[in-house]
Amino acid sequence: MNRTFKTDCIGYALFAILLLVVIPWAVSFDGFALNTYARYLALGMVAMALALSWGYAGILNLGQAVPFALGAYIMAMHLKLQASAHMPGGLPDFMGWTNVEALPWFWQPFHSLPVTLIAGIAVPVALAALLAVFMFRGRITGVFVAIITLAFLVAVQLVFIEEQRYTGGQNGLTGLAPLQLLGWRVDNYSTQFYYLVAVCLMTSLAIGLALVRSKVGLVLKAIREDASRVRFFGYDVARYETLAFCTSAAIAGWAGMLYVLVLEFASPTYMGVAFSLAIVIWCAVGGRESLVAAALGGIIVNLLEGRLSDMFVDGWTFFLGALFIVVVLVAPRGLFGLVQSAVRHAGKTIRSERGGARARWLATGMGARRIDNGGR
Amino acid sequence: MDAFLNQAFAGLSMASILLMVALGLAIIYGAMGVINLAHGEFVMLGAYSAWLLQTSLGLGILVALPIVFLMVALVGLLVERGVVRWLYHRPLDTILATWGVAILLQQLVRSVIGSESRYVAGPTILDGNLVLGGVVMSNYRIFLIFFSLAVVAATWFLLKRSEFGTKLRAVIQNKEISECYGIRADRVYALAFAYGAGLAGMAGALITPLVSVTPSMGTYLVVDAFLVVIVGGVGSLLGTVAAAGMVGEATAMFSMLMNDTIGRIAVLLAIIFLIRFKPMGLFPDKVRR
Amino acid sequence: MKRRDFLKGVAVAGAAGVVGFPGIWTQRKAAWAANGEIPVGILFSLTGAVAVVERTLHDAALMAIEEINDNGGIHGMRLRPYIEDPASDPATYADRARRLVLRDNCISVFGSYTSASRQAVLPVVEGRDNLYWYPTLYEGRECSRNVMYGGAVPNQQQQEFVPWLAENFGGRFYLIGNNYVYPREENNVCKMILNQIGGEAVHEEYVPMGHSDFSSVINRIRQANPDVIFCTLVGDSDVAFQRQFHAAGFDPEQLPVASLTRSEVEVKAMGGEAAAGHFSSAPYFMAHDSPENARFVEAYQRKYGSDQVTHFVSEAAYFQIYQFKAAVEQLAPSDITATNIRAAAVGQTFMAPQGEILIDENLHTHLWPKVAQWDRSGQAKVVLESQQRIAPEPYWAYEGQRCTGEGLVTS
Repeated sequence: MNRTFKTDCIGYALFAILLLVVIPWAVSFDGFALNTYARYLALGMVAMALALSWGYAGILNLGQAVPFALGAYIMAMHLKLQASAHMPGGLPDFMGWTNVEALPWFWQPFHSLPVTLIAGIAVPVALAALLAVFMFRGRITGVFVAIITLAFLVAVQLVFIEEQRYTGGQNGLTGLAPLQLLGWRVDNYSTQFYYLVAVCLMTSLAIGLALVRSKVGLVLKAIREDASRVRFFGYDVARYETLAFCTSAAIAGWAGMLYVLVLEFASPTYMGVAFSLAIVIWCAVGGRESLVAAALGGIIVNLLEGRLSDMFVDGWTFFLGALFIVVVLVAPRGLFGLVQSAVRHAGKTIRSERGGARARWLATGMGARRIDNGGR
Repeated sequence: MDAFLNQAFAGLSMASILLMVALGLAIIYGAMGVINLAHGEFVMLGAYSAWLLQTSLGLGILVALPIVFLMVALVGLLVERGVVRWLYHRPLDTILATWGVAILLQQLVRSVIGSESRYVAGPTILDGNLVLGGVVMSNYRIFLIFFSLAVVAATWFLLKRSEFGTKLRAVIQNKEISECYGIRADRVYALAFAYGAGLAGMAGALITPLVSVTPSMGTYLVVDAFLVVIVGGVGSLLGTVAAAGMVGEATAMFSMLMNDTIGRIAVLLAIIFLIRFKPMGLFPDKVRR
Repeated sequence: MKRRDFLKGVAVAGAAGVVGFPGIWTQRKAAWAANGEIPVGILFSLTGAVAVVERTLHDAALMAIEEINDNGGIHGMRLRPYIEDPASDPATYADRARRLVLRDNCISVFGSYTSASRQAVLPVVEGRDNLYWYPTLYEGRECSRNVMYGGAVPNQQQQEFVPWLAENFGGRFYLIGNNYVYPREENNVCKMILNQIGGEAVHEEYVPMGHSDFSSVINRIRQANPDVIFCTLVGDSDVAFQRQFHAAGFDPEQLPVASLTRSEVEVKAMGGEAAAGHFSSAPYFMAHDSPENARFVEAYQRKYGSDQVTHFVSEAAYFQIYQFKAAVEQLAPSDITATNIRAAAVGQTFMAPQGEILIDENLHTHLWPKVAQWDRSGQAKVVLESQQRIAPEPYWAYEGQRCTGEGLVTS
C-alpha cells in the first residue's frame, strides 16, 4: 500500500509539473497554444473519469459522453442567458425563432452562476445514479453495461436534437457570453484560463486518486476481478458500482463545463457515438489502470490527432486508425503498461502489483481457485 | 387499416435489412465474443464492391452478390488474421482494435476511390410494386425480406448440418478440448469471421438501390445491428431474427403513431429495458460455456 | 487523380516519418506577407460524413486559388492556402479555425457546409475580427459582420419558387426535412408564403440526420395525398429518400418533389432516373448557359476528372475566392487586413458562372435564383429564371428585423 501510494504520488507530481510548468513554458505562454492545450486537458479529464469506472470497477461505459455533454449544456445555458439579457424577455434568440413565448422553467435557475456550477455536476450525477441503480441492481455487467449505456447515449442525443426549441437542436447552443467569475471576465486564450483548467484537472485527479486509494477503491478492484465473490463476502456490489459510476459522471460533467468555456459553444456532437467511443480509446491508449495515465492518454491522442492532421491533411486518419490497432496489439495495457514494464525491466521493481494482489486476495478468499478475468 | 398494413410491411422491410447486417455480427460476436465495430465498414465495402463490379464489369447487383460475398469475406479474413486473432482472450479490447480497423478501411476507400457518393442501379426485374387493395409493396423490398430469410436458413444449415458448423460449435463450447480432437480452432475462427464479414458485404450490396453509397455509410448501421444482436441473445439465430423483426416493427409502429425521431427514441428505451430484464436475450443459449 | 493523391500522400508520409517526426511536437508558424504571400485558410472536411460534399468545395476553392496564382496573383503576391481538415465535427472546426486565424495568421478563412460548423467557427472569427467566407445556402436569421455569405437565404430560394409550385401543381404541400435548423426555418418561410397565397402544409416532419429508411414517410405521403413534396433533406438522406420515393412508383407530373438542397452531387448519387422530372431551386445549375459557366465547368472537369460535377455550393466556393481577390486588389499591400477586405468587398460586383452577383452591405450576396427540372442525364433544365438579381434578406420572415451594414437592426 505504501509503495503504490508512493508511485501514485510520483506520477501525480510529475503530471502536475508537466501541466503547470512544462506545457505553458514549452509553448511560451502563447494564447492560441494555451487554448488548444486547455481543450486537450478537458478531454484528458473525461478520459480520466472513464478510467475511474472502467479501469477500477470494470464498468465499460460507452455513454461517458452523456454526463460530459450535460455539464457542457448546463454551462452553455448559463452563458446563453447572459448573452440574451438584452433580448425581449431575456429569451435566447433560437427560442424566439421557434415561437417559444417565455423562458421554460428548467432554464430559469441557470441565471445564477452558483446554481449552474453545482448543477453542472449534480445533474449528470443524478442521471448517472438513476441509470446506475437501474443497471447494477439488476446485476448487469460487462458487455451489457456497454450496450445499455450506448443505447442510452443515442437516445439522449436524439432528444437533444429533437427538442430544438429548448436545446438549439443540431447546432447546439452558440453565441455565448464570456463567463464572469467573481468579477473576472474569463478570457479563454489567457494564461489564467489555462491554469484554471489545469487546476481543475489536478483537483479532480486528486479526488479520483483518493477514491481509488481508499478501501472503496480496493473493493471496486475486487468487483472488477470477480463481482460474485465480493457479493458473497457481504459487500453491496451495486452500491459500490453506483458510487464509481456517479463519481465518474461528476468529473465528466465538470470537464464538460470547462470544454464549453474553451470552445465557446455546446453541440450535440459532444454526446455523439464517435465522441463517446473516442473517450474509451483515449483511456485505453493511456492505460485504464491508472488515472494519471488515462488523463495523459486523452491529452496525447488529441495532440497527435492535431499534429497528424497538420502534417498529412489528406490521410491523417490512416495513422490514427493504425495507432489504435498497434496500441491494442503491442500495448494492451496502454502506455502505462509499457512504462511499467520498462521500469520493471530496468531492475527497479515497483510493486504496483500489490494493490492488485490484495484485491485479488479479497476477491478469492484464501487459496480459492484461480479467477477468470477474461470474461464475456 | 391500410395504413396499418402498409406500416407493418415497412417494418418487415426495415427488419430484413437489419437482419442481414446483424446476422454476420451475431456470428462474429456469438462465436468469438468479438465486438466488431468495423462491421459497418464491411457493409460499406460490400456496397463499394457492388459499385465496382457494376461500373467496371457491368454486373447487376444480384449477379454480383456471390463475388461481393467473396471479396468482403477475404477482407474479413485479412482483418481476422492480422488483428482480431490476437485478441480472443480479451474481448473488450476488440472494441478499440476494430474501431481502428474501421477508421482505416474508411480512409482507404476515401483515398483510393474518393469521398463522393456513388450510384448503383437496382435490378430492373424487381422494379415496380405489388398492390393488394390499399397496400403497396415494393417488389425489391419483398425480395429483400425473402432473401434475408433465405440467408438465415442457409446459415442455420451451415451451423447445424455442415462439418464446419459442427466444428465451430465444438470450438465455441470448449476450444481446448476440441483442439485435442484435432480441430484447428484458429482456422475455424478465421472462417467464421470471414463468413460474418461476407454476410455484411452482401447486405451492403443489397441496400445500394435504397441508399447512397459513401465511405461513412456503415457507421449508421453498426449501432443498430449491435442492439439487435444483444437483444436477440448471444449465439441464437432465432433470437437475432426475432429481435430484428421486433426492432423493425416497433420502429415502424412508433413512427406511425409519433414520428421517426421519437419512434427511434422509444425503441432505444425499450431495448434498454429488454436488456436490463432479459440480459441473456430473447432466446438464451441453453448451452453452458 | 485521387489515386495519385493517395500515392503522393503515402510517399510524403514516409518521407516525413523518416525526416520530420520530431516535427510533430512543434508548431507551424507563419509570418503574414513576409515573403509576398497572402495566407488564406481553407476549412472543408476531407474526412467524415460531410466530406461527400465538402471535398468538392475544397476542390473548387483550390482551383480558383491556383488560377489566380497562375495569372500573377494579386499585385504580384501569391495566395497561400493553409489547408485544414475539420473531419465533419463542429468541435474540430472550432479547433482548426483557431489554428488558421490565430496561429497561421490567415486574413480570411474559406469554409464549411453545415450550419452547425459555421456556428462553431463564429466565436473565433468574431473574437479576432477575421473574415469567414461561407459558400453555402443557409437559413438566414444571422447578421454577423465577420461572415461573407455566398449562398442563398430563404427569400432568394423561395419567394418565386413556392408560388410557382402552387400555381402549377396545387397548394397542398408535404414538408419533409432533416431535423436541424435549416429545414425548420425554410419550412417556416414556406408556410408563411403558403399562408399568403392560400395554400396549406398538409404535414410537416423531420427525420434524424443520416436517416436512410423512408418507408414510413412514403406511407404517410400516400395517405396525405399532397400536391407537392417540399423537401429539405440533405446529403445521404436526400439520396435515400428520392430512390425509395421513385421506387414506390410516384409520378413526378402528379406529385413532384421540390427541393431546396438537391444539387448535381445528390442527383449523381441517386441516379438521373430517380430524379427526373422533379425540381430544385438554386442560383446555379451546372447546365446553366453562360460563357463564364462554360469556362468554370471545363476547367473543373479538366482538373478533377470528366465525371465530376459542379453545383450551387461549389460555384460559390469558387466565386468567393474571386470576390476576395477583387477586394484585396483595391487595397495597398500594407492595408491588407480582414476589416479592410470587408469594407472593400461591399458593393462589389463579379461575373460569376450564374450571372453578375453583388455583395450587399449586409455581407450577403445578391443572386440569380433559378428553378430547374432534373432530367435523366442528371442535369437540370432551368424552367424559371428570375428576371432580376434578388437581394438577400436574411430576416425576411421576421417583421421589424433587418440585417444592414451596421449589423442587425430591430425596429
